[in-house]
Amino acid sequence: MSIGRRSIATATARLSVLVAALSVPAFTGVWELVARSGIVNTVLFPPPSTVAVAVLEWIRSGQFFADLMASLARVAGGFAIGAAGGIVLGILTGRFRLVSSLLSPLFHILRPIPPIAFVPIVILWFGLSETGKLFLVVWGVFFTVWLATHIGVQKVDRGLIRAAQMLGTPQPQMLWEIVLLGALPYITVGLRTAVSISFYTLVAAELAGAFAGIVYRIEIAQQNMQTGQVMGGLAALGLLSFVADRSFAILAERTVWWR
Amino acid sequence: MTPSLLRPDQPLRLVDTYPPSAPARQAIIRVEDLSIVFDAPSGQVIAVDRVSLAVAQGEFVSIVGPSGCGKSTLLNAMAGLEQPFEGQVLMAGEAMLAPRSEIGMVFQQPHLFPWKSVRRNIAHGPRALGKPKAEALRIADDLIEMIGLTRFASAYPHTLSGGMQQRVAIARALANQPSVLLMDEPFGALDAQTRAVMQDNLLELRERINATIVFVTHDIDEAILLSDRVLIMSAGPGRILKDLQVSLPRPRSSAIVAEAACLALKRDCLDLIRSEGRRAFEQMEIKT
Repeated sequence: MSIGRRSIATATARLSVLVAALSVPAFTGVWELVARSGIVNTVLFPPPSTVAVAVLEWIRSGQFFADLMASLARVAGGFAIGAAGGIVLGILTGRFRLVSSLLSPLFHILRPIPPIAFVPIVILWFGLSETGKLFLVVWGVFFTVWLATHIGVQKVDRGLIRAAQMLGTPQPQMLWEIVLLGALPYITVGLRTAVSISFYTLVAAELAGAFAGIVYRIEIAQQNMQTGQVMGGLAALGLLSFVADRSFAILAERTVWWR
Repeated sequence: MTPSLLRPDQPLRLVDTYPPSAPARQAIIRVEDLSIVFDAPSGQVIAVDRVSLAVAQGEFVSIVGPSGCGKSTLLNAMAGLEQPFEGQVLMAGEAMLAPRSEIGMVFQQPHLFPWKSVRRNIAHGPRALGKPKAEALRIADDLIEMIGLTRFASAYPHTLSGGMQQRVAIARALANQPSVLLMDEPFGALDAQTRAVMQDNLLELRERINATIVFVTHDIDEAILLSDRVLIMSAGPGRILKDLQVSLPRPRSSAIVAEAACLALKRDCLDLIRSEGRRAFEQMEIKT
């Protein structure tokens, strides 16, 4: 009996691997069939083959690489600045009550405002420059990382801090080693959330007006009724943020190396 | 060292005011009329109530009492982790207002830095005090050998057993060569067998280091085995009831716990603690 049950379990496991591998191809196939069957307007809803052709053309023209780099630079730059600021201020507000009293109320008021709502004022402040786009991504990333760090610092084992105090640890080392590493498990969770947020804000930033970028390309293609290109852009954006999230998850596992 | 209070422009004169001049024996720790009060939701709680004690250089003193009697709070005050409400703690003549690196502490939990190897954990203190890396690591290696964990020098704390972790914590506290070592129920979280081994280890260690040790425990056997003097504390508010000399010969080992002299001493302590515990329990019942 038990052998039979086990073999059923293995069979189910194998089947689910197979189904998982076929999931995307099957979905693409159905899409192709539906698009070609004449039920829908192929101009608005192009089949995957048309999308693939548009993507290949996009890559061959060299624009894809330029767009990718422009978008990546905004996301990476904004993420780095926002995350660094969030961690530094989170450690200060988490550790020093007076700094927290000064900044936390302000941050809690600003935090719930969706970064997209800042697009109009950002255009007035920075025009269509890169600074404005960076600002939006930084804004989105900062508060998430700040809050995660602030909470993480307060959850650092008090015993660790006392032990470090007894050993004569100077204040800077206390903050940037004991407190930072003690809060690191929380901080990495905040950083991972911030990765997706930085892609959301990228969309807002590029829609507001840009001269290169994946979302910019989607918008231009839409204006030219190149729906294949639009969908190719969406796929590229999805893939990009998926890869970013995955690689961050792997990185995060290694950051907390002592677990 | 203690800064000189004399200034060249002032004539030297004999002072007979507070603080009291040289105590009978060279006391390195002086607790004077120390009270510590906590804010609790139900009002203020007196954790330590006008405690005075002195510990001589090189002495091993245990503080024994029921849980919640304020013995850990008293120890934290000696460490500079807790501030007096009244009175003061003097370490080598200086008031303890903040932790000092010449006062080492071992807590009930090892509290090792989880991101550092055994070696780096022990080297943390010397590094924090600005010693060069090579020297700090050499100090660490010597201590690792002393606690018998050479094989585990590069292991991370979570891979070690509770007893091994606590040995690392003791070595880490010793790395700064403290003149005073404070131990807050360091073996309280260990199983009975490991505890006996650790007690023998500590007895051996004590012969080799030159520190004054204050050891908090609720285990009377442990206190008698290890100490030169046992202070018995009462519960709520924390006071020192009795100061017992343990004049058993050294070197000792955990075997002496079964000897007649030791048993007599233990009976005295137990009687005292039992009546004290009953009183505290009755008090609690009246309150609630």
